[in-house]
Amino acid sequence: MTKSLPQNNGFMLFCVLSEAKGMVIKMNKFNRIYPFSAIVGQEEMKKGLLLNAINPKLSGVLIRGEKGTAKSTAVRALAALLPDIEVVADCLYGCDPDNITVMCSSCRGRLEAGENLPRKKRKMKVVDLPVSATEDRVVGTLDIEQAIKKGEKHFEPGILAQANRGILYVDEVNLLDDHIVDVLLDSAAMGVNTVEREGVSFSHPANFMLVGTMNPEEGELRPQLLDRFGLCVNITGILDPLQRVEVVRRSVLFEEDPENFARQWEEEEKKLRKQIAAAKELLPAVKIKDDMLFLIAQIAIDMGVDGHRADLVMMKAAKTMAALNGREEVIEEDVRRSVDLALIHRMRRKPFQELSIDHEKLQDVISGFFDKECP
Amino acid sequence: MSKASSFIYPFTALVGQEKMKKGLILNAVNPRLGGILIRGEKGTAKSTAVRALASLLPEIEVVEGCPYSCHPDRRDNFCSRCSELFGQGKTIRSVRQVQVIDLPVSATEDRLLGSLDFEYAIKYGRPRFEPGLLAKANRGIIYVDEVNLLDDHLVDALLDAASMGVNTVEREGVSFSHPAEFILVGTMNPEEGELRPQLLDRFGLCVQVEGAADPTERVEIARRREAFDYSPLEFIVQWSAEESCLRERIVAARQLLSQVTISLELLDLVARLSLEAFVSGHRADIIMANAARTIAAWQGRTEVKEADVYEAAELVLPHRLREASPPHPPEQPEPSRKKEEEPSDQEQEDESSREQEMPERLDESSSGAEERPEPESREQQKEQDREKEEGQSSPSPASMEEVIFSIGEPFPVRRISYERDRVLRKGSGRRSRTKTASRTGRYVRSTMERNNNDLAFDATIRAASPYQLRRQREKVAIAIESSDIREKIREKRIGNFLLFVVDASGSMGARQRMVETKGAILSLLLDAYQKRDHIGMIAFKGNAAEVLLPPTNSVERAEKLLAELPTGGKTPLSSGLAKAYEVAIAHLYKDPNIFPLLIIISDGKANMSMGKDRPLAEARRVAEFISREEKIKTLVIDVEPSGFLSFGLARELAGILGARYYKIADLKADTLVEAIRKA
Repeated sequence: MTKSLPQNNGFMLFCVLSEAKGMVIKMNKFNRIYPFSAIVGQEEMKKGLLLNAINPKLSGVLIRGEKGTAKSTAVRALAALLPDIEVVADCLYGCDPDNITVMCSSCRGRLEAGENLPRKKRKMKVVDLPVSATEDRVVGTLDIEQAIKKGEKHFEPGILAQANRGILYVDEVNLLDDHIVDVLLDSAAMGVNTVEREGVSFSHPANFMLVGTMNPEEGELRPQLLDRFGLCVNITGILDPLQRVEVVRRSVLFEEDPENFARQWEEEEKKLRKQIAAAKELLPAVKIKDDMLFLIAQIAIDMGVDGHRADLVMMKAAKTMAALNGREEVIEEDVRRSVDLALIHRMRRKPFQELSIDHEKLQDVISGFFDKECP
Repeated sequence: MSKASSFIYPFTALVGQEKMKKGLILNAVNPRLGGILIRGEKGTAKSTAVRALASLLPEIEVVEGCPYSCHPDRRDNFCSRCSELFGQGKTIRSVRQVQVIDLPVSATEDRLLGSLDFEYAIKYGRPRFEPGLLAKANRGIIYVDEVNLLDDHLVDALLDAASMGVNTVEREGVSFSHPAEFILVGTMNPEEGELRPQLLDRFGLCVQVEGAADPTERVEIARRREAFDYSPLEFIVQWSAEESCLRERIVAARQLLSQVTISLELLDLVARLSLEAFVSGHRADIIMANAARTIAAWQGRTEVKEADVYEAAELVLPHRLREASPPHPPEQPEPSRKKEEEPSDQEQEDESSREQEMPERLDESSSGAEERPEPESREQQKEQDREKEEGQSSPSPASMEEVIFSIGEPFPVRRISYERDRVLRKGSGRRSRTKTASRTGRYVRSTMERNNNDLAFDATIRAASPYQLRRQREKVAIAIESSDIREKIREKRIGNFLLFVVDASGSMGARQRMVETKGAILSLLLDAYQKRDHIGMIAFKGNAAEVLLPPTNSVERAEKLLAELPTGGKTPLSSGLAKAYEVAIAHLYKDPNIFPLLIIISDGKANMSMGKDRPLAEARRVAEFISREEKIKTLVIDVEPSGFLSFGLARELAGILGARYYKIADLKADTLVEAIRKA
């Protein structure tokens, strides 16, 4: 990602300023977000996020890295890139009007009663889960207003409800309080949030893409939660001086005039948006052959991972990778490139060993597999 | 308020995990087996299987509309509503499937047990009981995902109801009891910590699951899951024939069950198996016999075979196994321990002599240039030890050099925690339970005491609701007076601050002692990780002590430091203790409610002092000083091997400090838990 910067900044700035004020204000809200395509380097992270944007079933990504490596910027930038989703207009949980399998009870009831559900399109939400969140805000609780005004018992949805069909973003996820993690695990597992507390009993769909960032120096994540992140990337600061300079330059430009900066990148963003949309469309048609499936299984066994989630994620990631590259068939390269993302946090490791993948071993496994296949 | 149901992966489409499937099916056939606990690594279809089971469960007869699912023929066990209806001859029979009730880890007590129905109370001014999860679960299944994360107070309530079969509620002006006979099904990942033995025993069966090692199987798993994710409805339709086939077989086995007999010889076998496993109590025997019968019924036989009993034993015994004798109480070392340790000493000896012959087997991290002090004989070693004990003579030149030893095998450690007290704390972790003052933590129950404005709305409204008919209300449905106000009591586990004070002097290098010691420290670190403790590390060797790791959460860093920790030089014990005291006090200033725990790992043989005193005397003085600080707890781990010549210096030190005293072997966890890990 070493794109040359457009040269005529001053002119562009002039253009923006000379436009109608209302326009600027309208753009303001949107433009505070740093464009995804303007992020320098960090290809792995961008790949992880893009794959998730194309295939939400990958169930999120964990970004591990030092401070100041554009982790949060990238997550917020991604949301701006995501295509709109169709929701039931008046549903608190943003149910998909076309998918009865994951509807909240009220939408399902209405649909079964023959009602035509009102639809609307909206952006995919990024819901922040602050580390200081309390449990009742996360899972939802008794609606106090209704209780006091009407003396009735109603459920007040929490953060998990808002995050349904969106991105649940946890900055510094390793600092999250333990009991909140427990709750997250519970609902992330089944995509349903079951609430049995403070006098209310309720459950609603909570399918969210879990995106977390963390700095490993502050302590690791619990293995169980680690496994809930579909993909994981390790990022470090950029070492190439040229790129570093580029990072600073762009960030200065962005801070000085976000609107203008966004404009300059609009073209790139559009391209990327198109690419995501195309890949999304292609994804259901992507096929994976048996030998690739066996390769995935072999890698999972030989590299020593816990459980089967790794296989599933690797397969999904490889398919998505193929779709991103416009192919209808998964090739070895896709599998190879998905290994890093899907395995790094699932390796059975000795206590306190760092998260990493032995690439030599991986290479041996892959080449060994193909030797066996065609003697 | 109803439940959102999602489409569930069919049970028959699960690949492999035969034992888990068998266990679940047996429970569907015979509810008297008392549930099942599924332990295993993440991503092995544990939760999927349990949820899939729900649709396979048999039907039961109930009194229609009864919130407690009373059995229409068991009049003695009727709830009050049903007896009333029965008196009027109005009980209607109906049939419905056994239900699986989810108990989320975030549940509060009022929902589990049931509480006052405030809507009703406001409208009619009378209290009425609103049934909780235990009521719903009567004659059904309670499912707890991640059961090891369930809060202790919920576990207590569950255990209480499970043992009595009745849920008795005395709270918030309602006094009520109703039948609560349920099966407990739980899944857990042992990485996150173990279950309490009492709760463990409540589960009739227990299976351990792990990922499949066969590529074909793995591919099949991935393929089916993908097909399900892609189009759940189609997938379910595809498997519906298999599902109904399995359901029919379960029904058939259920009908056959009452006719299955078990011979006296096989009952004898059951008893013998239980005895051999040293299980406590008789629950195991009863469940094993029942399970064997159920297995026979499942196979379509009316007589239990020997193989059935063995199969049953595999499901019933793993979580109840204990070793031959209970572990030694750590506080009073017995002579028998010496016998136990003797062979391991011998082994070590053997190993070191072997390593002498093969110098290249030295630890990878130590470069070839470094030489390890290797005693030529045991005699000489003792000589050296004695010299060091006297402390005046300089240590042998070999031990002056620094050597890095590898880390020994870690093992599960015994539970180290303080008793719960009434101090309100903040912080987080999992070791000790505490009431918290800040508004975080799990809402446990409510109180009338007003401390920090952490209003418990549900409890407040419940308290106010019965009086609403009499109170003046303006524009609101409920008038709350200050006497109604309830506050939340929150509880959470906090981590402790563990400060490791490690002796890295030359004497620790002798006979691989450091390898074992590092293994022990690593084990404690592992435990610290599970309980989210803060940790710090101080090492003392040569002339002084050094703070290797200031208080942190990162256990990984501690481990790295431990691996790189060199050994060699004199033993400045007093300096180590003084440094530890400094760090502990500093931490106490920062967080006055978290009591630091000093873990002193040494043989106690000080031979280097800070001042003019003799090293041992100085160490004792510092120890006395530390013991006066009430908030600092200490624990001494003695690494001196027991033999003819043990000096007991570490023991003495522990005495002065008022510390708990352990040998490394004592640190190993209860044999019960250990047995499970092996199973």
